[in-house]
Amino acid sequence: MRKIYLLSFCLLFVLQIASAQQSNVKLISGNFQQATIAQFVSELESKSNFHFYYDPIQFDSLRVTLQVNDKPLEAVLDMAFKNSDFHYAITPQQQVFLTKGRQIRTELASGFMQATPGNAPVKQTTTVVDYTDERDKKVPEATTENKLYEIGAKTNAIKSGNATLSGYIRDIKSGEAVTGASIYIANTKSGVATDRFGYFTITLQRGRHILNVRGIGMRDTRRQIILYSDGKLNIEMQEQVNTLKEVKISADKVANVRSVELGVTRLDIKNIKQIPTAFGEADVLKVVLTLPGVTSVGEATTGFNVRGGAADENLILLDGATIYNPAHFFGFFAAFNPDIVKDIELYKSSIPEKFGGRLSSVLDITNREGNKKIFTGSAGIGLLTSRLNIEGPIVKDKTSFIFGGRTTYSDWLLSALPEAYKHSSASFYDFNLDISHQINDKNNLYLSSYLSKDKFRLNSDTTYSYSNKSILLKWKHNFNTKLFSLITAGVDRYQYNISSSANVVNSYNLGFDINQSNFKADFTYYASSKHTINFGLSSLLYKVDPGTFEPNGTKSLILPQVIAPEHALENALYLGDKFDVTDNLTISAGVRLNIYNYLGPQTIDNYALNLPKAAVNVLDSTTYSSGKIIKTYMAPDIRISARYLLSDDLSIKAGYNTLHQYIHLLSNSTSISPTDIYKLSDPNIKPEHGDQISLGLFKNAKSNTIELSVEGYYKRIRDYLDYKSGAVLLLNQHIERDVINTQGKAYGVEFLIKKTAGKLNGWMSYTYSRTFLKQDDPNAGELINGGAYYPANYDKPHAFNFTGNYKFSHRYSVSLDVAYSTGRPITLPIAKYQYAGSERVFYSDRNAYRIPDYFRSDFSLNIEGNHKIHQKTHNSWTIGVYNLTGRQNAYSTFFTEQSGVISGYKLSIFASPIPFVNYNIRF
Amino acid sequence: MCLLIIGLSFGCKKPYLPPIISSPGTYLVVEGIITGGSQSTVIKLSRTVNLSSAVSTTPVRGAVLAVESNQNDSFPLLETNPGRYVSAGITLDNSKKYRLRIKTADNKQYLSDFVAVVNSPPVDSVYYKTSTPGLTIYADTHDPQNSTRYYRWDYQETWIIHSTYDSYFKSNGDTVLSRDLVNDNIYQCWSSDSSSTIVLNSSAKLSKDIITDNPITFIPVNSEKIGIKYSVLVRQYALSADAYGFWQNLKKNTEQLGSIFDAQPTQLIGNIHSITNPSEAVIGYISVGNVSSQRIFITNQQLPNWVAGRADPNCQLDTFYYVYYPPGGKIAVNQVNQFINYKKGANSPLIPVNAISPPGAPKPIGYSASDPSCVDCTLRGTNKQPAFWK
Repeated sequence: MRKIYLLSFCLLFVLQIASAQQSNVKLISGNFQQATIAQFVSELESKSNFHFYYDPIQFDSLRVTLQVNDKPLEAVLDMAFKNSDFHYAITPQQQVFLTKGRQIRTELASGFMQATPGNAPVKQTTTVVDYTDERDKKVPEATTENKLYEIGAKTNAIKSGNATLSGYIRDIKSGEAVTGASIYIANTKSGVATDRFGYFTITLQRGRHILNVRGIGMRDTRRQIILYSDGKLNIEMQEQVNTLKEVKISADKVANVRSVELGVTRLDIKNIKQIPTAFGEADVLKVVLTLPGVTSVGEATTGFNVRGGAADENLILLDGATIYNPAHFFGFFAAFNPDIVKDIELYKSSIPEKFGGRLSSVLDITNREGNKKIFTGSAGIGLLTSRLNIEGPIVKDKTSFIFGGRTTYSDWLLSALPEAYKHSSASFYDFNLDISHQINDKNNLYLSSYLSKDKFRLNSDTTYSYSNKSILLKWKHNFNTKLFSLITAGVDRYQYNISSSANVVNSYNLGFDINQSNFKADFTYYASSKHTINFGLSSLLYKVDPGTFEPNGTKSLILPQVIAPEHALENALYLGDKFDVTDNLTISAGVRLNIYNYLGPQTIDNYALNLPKAAVNVLDSTTYSSGKIIKTYMAPDIRISARYLLSDDLSIKAGYNTLHQYIHLLSNSTSISPTDIYKLSDPNIKPEHGDQISLGLFKNAKSNTIELSVEGYYKRIRDYLDYKSGAVLLLNQHIERDVINTQGKAYGVEFLIKKTAGKLNGWMSYTYSRTFLKQDDPNAGELINGGAYYPANYDKPHAFNFTGNYKFSHRYSVSLDVAYSTGRPITLPIAKYQYAGSERVFYSDRNAYRIPDYFRSDFSLNIEGNHKIHQKTHNSWTIGVYNLTGRQNAYSTFFTEQSGVISGYKLSIFASPIPFVNYNIRF
Repeated sequence: MCLLIIGLSFGCKKPYLPPIISSPGTYLVVEGIITGGSQSTVIKLSRTVNLSSAVSTTPVRGAVLAVESNQNDSFPLLETNPGRYVSAGITLDNSKKYRLRIKTADNKQYLSDFVAVVNSPPVDSVYYKTSTPGLTIYADTHDPQNSTRYYRWDYQETWIIHSTYDSYFKSNGDTVLSRDLVNDNIYQCWSSDSSSTIVLNSSAKLSKDIITDNPITFIPVNSEKIGIKYSVLVRQYALSADAYGFWQNLKKNTEQLGSIFDAQPTQLIGNIHSITNPSEAVIGYISVGNVSSQRIFITNQQLPNWVAGRADPNCQLDTFYYVYYPPGGKIAVNQVNQFINYKKGANSPLIPVNAISPPGAPKPIGYSASDPSCVDCTLRGTNKQPAFWK
């Protein structure tokens, strides 16, 4: 505080510079013995006309022992500060500024006269600031675009060579980091984007530059700088208040063409909120499904499939925490609160080295930071769910929290239904609590926690419940402007429980859980303007309880059954370099070394070589003690991508990556169901691995408001786990006997056109893709389809998506979402016969047929309340219709016996137009 | 119309006719169980048919079947009905294993795997419980040796039905006569049906081999089955773990489909293989062992005040006269011949129910009559009382 006080004084006095004021030179005599600065200064002030300004804290170590006789002040101070780090500066107004480390210049800085007169004094401030000690340097908070910021230690002549500028981009209103904002330097055509903390660092030639800053949903701004040496600049941006002409500014206007990655999509929550969903609540996962290369087996399914990968091959991260079941309510809702989510990023092809452990994609969901300045909140009310979020500062500008909660009250609807559904119930909730704290300029702490729970009972006495829990602590540390680190530690847990109490003798409780403790250290080093190096390590400790089956109640005769817990350690080391070879060519190459240890205590069956894994082929079994390494799998992942700029707005990119996965989802249903189990790789179950090669052409048009891309890929999947006919997956002590290694191949081409600005914005995509699987393990016994390739459940060759939003005015906008795809493959009966008193059917080869094509269109109207910025609450309404045409899309077709006769049926979900209304309030 | 309701029912189920699918060939279907003692072994052979086919099965005739043991016993089966092969007296030895050998008329050979004898323990009780929507039949059993563990049940239901109208007359084609109410009763019949769903249960996860409250079948409250008197014979089969897997798979594939978390249909793997062509699929699972059973009776009086929906709303009684003048007509019409006496002009003859005899008339001037489906219960059952009925 005192420092600021001092600085304002400095400012005040500097401002008062009007004309030089000549004064008489007084000579000083005195005797100082171990004098403190206060004693020293008061003595000098009493003996001269000078007035002293200084920071007592800086001088608390100073003791002056000096004897002087009739010396000018300069000589006295020279002697006093001789061989010390203290400096003085004397102004013609007889002010003396004492400083530590650097001397204050009292004349005007060079370049002062070039600036407009009105801004000059303000600029001067920064000059003064720059003269304070480097360590305690106050980073200038830029608020004006016309101001010229001087970065680094000022020199009269600008040195040649490069310097690094770094800093944060924040929302001026909430203090929240602006992720993915781009800084573009027009004259060198170089640019950089902020990371998830709003941090950026860019290496530039020393000298004067104009930084053009753009962020999603933010008003464009610019900063003028003179770069003398390495330094910092924090930029605050203002939220975009929509006007008729400006609708949305994409952060990545140039990223489409210029970034080195392929198959990466970033979507802001504002994009996500524009897309109509079945119940009117913005849904992160539904939006992912509109992207090219992403399919699902049907509506209301939990999983999604990326470029031919199975649903468990996606790593879903919520602020770094792994979410195993990302859905609520049978998949009708995503488990992510749209009021808390800030943006999402989906990596389909160029998966950064820091991610690993899954085969197909990474969906990285980032939550907002709480408002660091004021308390705000929002609430939303829908037909089935409501949500509330509150955020605000704990310590203003330093510490903030954000809390979000959602719950459903659908039971009233269920109880209003006919008898057949009356006895169902379903409920869920989820909570987020995130705290972020800025320790100082170089250290930030983030705590994020998440809890979700689902519970449902469907016309039976069996109750299902599942829950995700995670807590995570992140520490971000900037070593200097070029090197920063992010250390993460946390625990994630997913569990489910099935219980039944209908029949007292058979009452049971079945539980499954998976716990993972994780530690990650990620470093980014901006080595030079050409090299950005990422390196780090990650460590994951798994504990999986594959099943506990216990009696429920004293009368139950259920025999308790516990499958031994599994333990494993998944470590990875990675190193990657983004290398700008020339202005046009950039290569990003990395390697990630995975080391997986399956750990004891465990008993492992040893099977005879080259024979099916069956009970009869067990040679013996080995029991391992706790912590003993049973099996180690070690393999490097390679991640390479390259971009070549053909012209300013046209580039070609190519990529190759390999991935390994050590945890397998075993599911014998078409979509992820809450009773699927996860299995760790062990000596009898190999890790899955795969690789992908991709090539893309990227083009921007109409001053970067239209983005076009074409991407093609070919992907191989090895040792994906499928199950044998009649496999028992739950409570199976020897699951390796019931699964078969499956190989897969997928290829496709994706076309995307995206309009990022204007009254009409949105995207349109068409994808042609195929996915085939085959079982070729000669030891597996009966093979699906005789060992030949068959299409995967989610193989949908043609997929078309349109997602558009049109803004009529500040207050009214409409959104339209259209989706078409080929029907997914199914296994149909090909013959019928009589057995056990009924007609039965005989099935074809797996997935030999397809359900009818899928088509759906959704429409919504968004009405914003008035746009006065200062009012107690901001309201908005969303009204819309899901499945506008009411097409009864088949979710599945099935053949089942009714009174002894086989009939075919088609099951549709959301088979009629579903109107919805949602009311949102912000305060 | 699909309802807009929540949960799984948000969906809607509609009939679906896939494009014409025909299988490349037909597959042999073998159904039955090898039993011993007084129970005769019945094996049914058929072949699959195309889905679109009007018939649901084609029996396989002229095959040669034999039950063989692993100690060289052989018991031939004889074809009693088309595709139905029977052997009356096989004595099962619990220490032996048995299999079925099939040689079809086109000289293809099939063998089932050798299977150990698993006899079913007695059915402890068959009973029912009532609820608002209807009545559920349950069966309990237990094995003191704790060794059976896997069970399957099927059942045969029999119930009394009444025609809507009790007929006292019949037509011989030419004329209407009084009905022989003892030997030609068409008012009360016995209708029967057998199970069409697979009922399975297992005590494998329990500390004792006990099955309680195992639901066998459900009868809705307004069903004709429980309108007067109902009987059910529950048969209980013991299974091996392998056989249980087969039945469960069959049930999953053909009965338990249509929910969101459906298992994918899988190919059925039974224990019968073709020797001639090992890659040929054969459907069926042959188990060996005796069957236990129990029968219960339920009369309508035992049930809560349920009114069984017996009366067919489509049934109505009309009156037909020997001499009838149509409105405005001058010529008399013999309605009895026209509608009842099928040799005298009645195209779809009705069955006379009661005589219309005005006071003083020497003989009936006409009859009330109704459609056979409303009068003749033998169209839906038999008027011979089953031997077990009491």
